[in-house]
Amino acid sequence: MPNPDLRDEMKAPVEPLLPVEKKLMGWSLSLGLALLVLLVLLNRVAPLN
Amino acid sequence: MSAATVSVQAAQPARISEDWLSVLIGLGVFGLALFPLAGFDALGWVATTSVWTDPSAALAPASKAYASLSGFGALVITYLALLAVLSAGAFALGEDVKRFALAFTAVFAIAYVSWFVGSWARFAAVTPADQAKFGLSWSLKLTSEGGFIVALLAGLAIANVFPAFAERLKSAIHPELYIKIAIVILGAFIAVTAAGKLNLASSLLLRGVAAIIEAYLIYWPVVYLIARKGFGFSREWSAPLASGISICGVAAAIATGGAIRSRPQVPVLVSSLVVIFAVIEVMILPAIAQAFMSHEPLVAAAWVGLAVKTDGAAVAAGGITQALIQAKAAAEGVAYQPGWMLAVTATVKVFIDVFIGVWAFILAYIWTNHINPRPGAQKARPVEIWRRFPKFILGFVATFAIALTLTLGTQAGASGKLAAAIGEANVLRVIFFTLTFFSIGVLSNFRKLWEEGLGKLAAVYVVSLFGFVVWVGFVISWLFFAGVKPPLAS
Repeated sequence: MPNPDLRDEMKAPVEPLLPVEKKLMGWSLSLGLALLVLLVLLNRVAPLN
Repeated sequence: MSAATVSVQAAQPARISEDWLSVLIGLGVFGLALFPLAGFDALGWVATTSVWTDPSAALAPASKAYASLSGFGALVITYLALLAVLSAGAFALGEDVKRFALAFTAVFAIAYVSWFVGSWARFAAVTPADQAKFGLSWSLKLTSEGGFIVALLAGLAIANVFPAFAERLKSAIHPELYIKIAIVILGAFIAVTAAGKLNLASSLLLRGVAAIIEAYLIYWPVVYLIARKGFGFSREWSAPLASGISICGVAAAIATGGAIRSRPQVPVLVSSLVVIFAVIEVMILPAIAQAFMSHEPLVAAAWVGLAVKTDGAAVAAGGITQALIQAKAAAEGVAYQPGWMLAVTATVKVFIDVFIGVWAFILAYIWTNHINPRPGAQKARPVEIWRRFPKFILGFVATFAIALTLTLGTQAGASGKLAAAIGEANVLRVIFFTLTFFSIGVLSNFRKLWEEGLGKLAAVYVVSLFGFVVWVGFVISWLFFAGVKPPLAS
């Protein structure tokens, strides 16, 4: 098994972000923010006791 | 996992893949754990190690039903059982069984001693109550997960100081197999832990769901982006790092590493970092919570649950936060009922844990189909996705689903038996995790990483945690818990 050498790996060209990575991050954040807003609104309607 | 993985020479052609073997062994352990439902404790003989100051009292069988074995007897049986099962596994993998058995004997001994040493109260005790129980004025607060660090260091020491001995051990150095078996067992443990908190969780449902959204959909992509664009880490490093920092530490980093088929050293190194940072968080965050959030105890409790990244450390931090805030409130003449803050911290953590399998499944699909598709193929076909899919994730999801269904579908007495039995299986999970960390140490030369690279990994952790995670966690905890107080003690 090759040992990871982070110093050498850091000198390697940075892997560009693939479209699928951008999609993964974009969709996650968008969905997350939308759901959080929804939950905050729900919490206002039915707050914890 | 890339093609360059474990370099174990096969004596014969493999009869099964390591992936499927891990599912078989993991499901076998899970199956044995279900026997108490039929009135027979099939795993109670497993040797467990509790936090200790008196070494002679540290070892014991996992179940009192096997108390007559004594701790040492349980350890011998545990060794023999693992030796038999894993030797059969080595045979199925086409390896030299005799060489494996000899090497595994040494590997098991060193790994178990590492767990034992890591459970010494000076290393493992976390809360002031624990320290008082053991009569200690200080401890390293590593939790019993500190045994993983000891195992890693032991492996590194052998690899770097005794390379000939390390070479002789390599027949039994199977980090991927050990990791995957542990993760399959982990599914059941998470399920019974979650089921035990469902009553409270249902009353905190919105906050629990918000915790899931924060961890997986907000923290993960931001930490991944910081690691990739801010620090230039590769996808192989960034994904386990994002999971370790965002979700729940060791288990999440290792499950993610398996899902994206990274080299096994990558999630183990990330996990080590998570354990070390958890110690720092346990020491700092409760004090901050007491100083600035003592009038919002449940905000503080939820915040701690979101910020501290290993389960043991998070619950410990919740306990310390509770003790500090209750003490400050008592000085002001307010006496809160104990347990509520700790319960909120634990519930937040449990909600986050539950989705590790789903997240690992999603990442495995994306990495298999889009990020590491087979060279030359235009797009991975369904059969190719299946062929390359990490099957142990299916074992993890299966044990989680079955254990959760059984726990919720049985009466209280039976579900209590099941929880205890899965706890026995979880002892094996800890042993497999320890074997993993030791194996990684033996196989790796981390010296260069410790010299320079680890600092960069730690920088991602610091930037993400203190620049983002704690603040977002605080704002959202405030939105849901501001003004909500624990009941007052009568």
